Amino acid sequence: MKTKLLTTLLTLAASTALFAADSPAVGTTAPDFSLTDSKGKTQTVSQYKGKYVVLEWFNPDCPFVKKHYGSGNMQKLQEEFTAKGVVWLSIDSSAPGLEGNLTAEQAEKKIAEWKTKQTAFVLDPDGKAGRIYGAKNTPHMFVINPEGKIVYEGAIDSKATPNPSDIAGSTNYVKVALEESLAGKTVTTPSSRPYGCSVKYK
Amino acid sequence: LRGVCLRARGFVFVTLLDKEKATEAGHDENYESGSHAAIRAVGEPPARSRCRANLLMVSNGMTAWRQLSIAFLAMLLLAVVPRSSSGQTYEGRELVQASLVADVTAIVPGKPFTVGLLLRMVPNWHTYWKFPGDAGIATEIKWNLPPGWKAGEIQWPIPLKLNEPGDIQIYGYHDEVLLMQEITPPASFAGPATKLLAEANWLVCEKICIPGSARLQLELPVSTQNARANEDLFARYRRSLPQAWPESKIAGASWKRSGPELSLTVVSAALVNYPVIDFFPLPVGTLVVGHPKTERGAGGEITFRIPLETQDQKLSSLSGIVVFGQDANGPGRNAWLLAGTAPASNVSVALPSSFPASSGLAKFLLFGFLGGFILNLMPCVLPVISLKIFGFIQQAGQSRARILRSGLAFAAGIFAWFIGLAFLLIALKSAGREITWAFQFTNPHFVLFMSAVVLVFALNLFGVFEISLPQSANRGLLGWTAREGEAGSFFQGVFATVLATPCTAPFLGTALGFAFTQSGWTILLMFVAIAAGMSSPYLLLSAQPAWLRLLPKPGAWMERVKQLMGFFLLATLVFLLWVLGAERGVEAIIWTSCFLLALSVACWMKGAFLVPTASTAGRLIALVLMLVIVLGSAWYFIGEKFNATKLVSAETQTRGDWLAFTPERLQIELDQGRAVFVDFTAAWCLTCKFNEANVLEAGAVRDAFQRHGITKIKADWTNADPAITKILKQFGRPGVPMYVLYPGNHAEPILFPELLTQNLILEKLETVSPHVAAE
Repeated sequence: MKTKLLTTLLTLAASTALFAADSPAVGTTAPDFSLTDSKGKTQTVSQYKGKYVVLEWFNPDCPFVKKHYGSGNMQKLQEEFTAKGVVWLSIDSSAPGLEGNLTAEQAEKKIAEWKTKQTAFVLDPDGKAGRIYGAKNTPHMFVINPEGKIVYEGAIDSKATPNPSDIAGSTNYVKVALEESLAGKTVTTPSSRPYGCSVKYK
Repeated sequence: LRGVCLRARGFVFVTLLDKEKATEAGHDENYESGSHAAIRAVGEPPARSRCRANLLMVSNGMTAWRQLSIAFLAMLLLAVVPRSSSGQTYEGRELVQASLVADVTAIVPGKPFTVGLLLRMVPNWHTYWKFPGDAGIATEIKWNLPPGWKAGEIQWPIPLKLNEPGDIQIYGYHDEVLLMQEITPPASFAGPATKLLAEANWLVCEKICIPGSARLQLELPVSTQNARANEDLFARYRRSLPQAWPESKIAGASWKRSGPELSLTVVSAALVNYPVIDFFPLPVGTLVVGHPKTERGAGGEITFRIPLETQDQKLSSLSGIVVFGQDANGPGRNAWLLAGTAPASNVSVALPSSFPASSGLAKFLLFGFLGGFILNLMPCVLPVISLKIFGFIQQAGQSRARILRSGLAFAAGIFAWFIGLAFLLIALKSAGREITWAFQFTNPHFVLFMSAVVLVFALNLFGVFEISLPQSANRGLLGWTAREGEAGSFFQGVFATVLATPCTAPFLGTALGFAFTQSGWTILLMFVAIAAGMSSPYLLLSAQPAWLRLLPKPGAWMERVKQLMGFFLLATLVFLLWVLGAERGVEAIIWTSCFLLALSVACWMKGAFLVPTASTAGRLIALVLMLVIVLGSAWYFIGEKFNATKLVSAETQTRGDWLAFTPERLQIELDQGRAVFVDFTAAWCLTCKFNEANVLEAGAVRDAFQRHGITKIKADWTNADPAITKILKQFGRPGVPMYVLYPGNHAEPILFPELLTQNLILEKLETVSPHVAAE
């Protein structure tokens, strides 16, 4: 009886702790963070109030990230929407010593090598931003509207595979969410199950 | 170069941005020593050692160019030619060894056997379950089988629940997993041997994730008999499969949705004593679920709370497995598979092939006409119809034109109601609502209103009061309804029809089921056909008054019969109260009865004081008092008390050896190949009650159900449960009654007509295979 009670309490305690780290729901205010980007500038979500903001969780060694960068798919999206005034923040939450962790220098090198087109490359080695957003995958995507509310959260597209040839036949949820939002429509798919590698937290 | 050769075997998709890193030697040697046990199925040397041989050869003093071209050739060959087993290597480490194994030594045509994809992972690396959790991808198997061969669903062993830093929870397998699938060769298959080809794709992760892919083949001889193979391996993994939901061990299971949380409560004595109980969800589509929590409540209740991230308020259940054991991720765990409702296609698989085609409008209109005619004979309409017959008896001596006018007015009442109903249904349908026959009886306020009308009508028949319409100079013997003014006839027609709706006559269901899926015009036409059918006898009698001579002569006896009919109406009232009770509980009956009592007093006052002989002042006082009584009691008993009563859940109404319907329950029974009989019924459906009392609960039928081991499920549609509406629609029926027999072993369901006979049921039960019954 005692052990049962103990297990129950432990399960409860553990699950409450877990519950607290779930992603903020679509429609709620996007949490803020303050981090340094690869150029040494401070990046926050709140400084972009009045603009659409895309958060993209990044890990250069994850095959799912490579799928979208290797094919040029991600760069194309970044280029298209930053040209329309959308702010695009790529965030690397990999902890030092784990896969995908980049220093500012390494990040700059990666940006040049992959010809990425994001507004800023945010370094989050402590996983602060990642944990507030409950980012679990790379790539894990969020779209925030000018009022600071989350309008999309989830996968980049509808085909959860590491195979670049699947990009052509998939629906890009982020693209659709941005296009619909920019046209003043409500987002048809406001959330989806993100897919990819787990974010490498400490 | 070694990297190139090894890479070729487990071809990695993304090479563009990949960079080679230093090989960690040593680790994979340890792994290799224990990894080949299960790969012997085909007798080909494992890929890994062959590649080693190549390497040895290659390093024997060749030029770089030749080395490269050989390696390229090897890569091409290895990528294209399917293999019995294949390794996935990353940076010189073999991460996953994949192979196909069968549980038989040979293929016997027509006889199903099991093939498994065996994945062996290096320590600490994992591949994923059907639902990977917060990250990862489920392993995928694509079969390329000869024509006529069938592959079943992947049978997923109970996975481990693994936590990674940052609250990342995934479901997967460490070390080794066997993903089994049933393969069925056609009976006509012939040949000395055959190769089964499959492509497997997986994601393997530790700190990092690497996708892997392999084209595999399994070569088996074809024979007339076979023996078991790989028995231990298959037995081990079969034991670790989730079992079917064990109804018998579960005292209760229910889903609840409250905002962003879905909770499943299970009461089971078989479960409570395990220290670890968990729910692993199996969401479909893009549905995002959080981490389920387990709570233990009083009385052995276990509640799983699953946070949802979806706007879809209709989502009310989820598939998943309930996992229990002595410790988390321990080897001795068991699991029960709970199939959720989510995809509608799950249930619609079980449709009869004889589903009415959308052609033959004329045939369905004829059905509608016949159904409408038969409605006259249904028990709910009889009291009203008999009064109409009385009208005709009385009119026997009157002028032909008058009889015709009255008959037409009655028919007009019938038409008015049906056409009004058609327009209402069309409006509801275009507003996207589910439309059904007798839907108005699912509304308790409608039933309440009908009770009041029926009671007032009965009191009128008893002679408590008479209704005087202003222009009625010569008040007839039988009061307003029998007075045969055109208005009276019209309302009689409406009344008869309203009472007719809870009865579904033969033919009517088929006809309406067809019409409801069609355009607004077809619905309208169908209702006109039913109205025509129902009014046809009166129109005929009116047009041919000579036939009226066949009816008995009028006389004082009619007054007595009229009173007798009043009792029939009271019986109808009892039925309506019973419907209310089923919908809203005993309190609803009590408060309705209180209101009806007050209404009766008002009627009595009308008969006693509101008469032409009374003084104007007296009449005024009586009128005011009546209004006070009716409105006051309506406000208190209905507005305050009745409206406070709650919907009664279908669960509490199901009695005896019938199980209450839920889509999951039906699906589970069917998945297990059991024979199931489903009674779609409602408290207000008289045809249903008649069938239940005379056929379904009759001794012979009950015995037969038992003998054939049939699961009996009662789907109570009294409160218009949308899950039931959906199934009614799938079978093309507009409402209840509906009777469906699933003969078991996934055979096509049999749909019964609306009116049952014992023979009909007994006959069909004989088709249920005794094999299933024995289980």
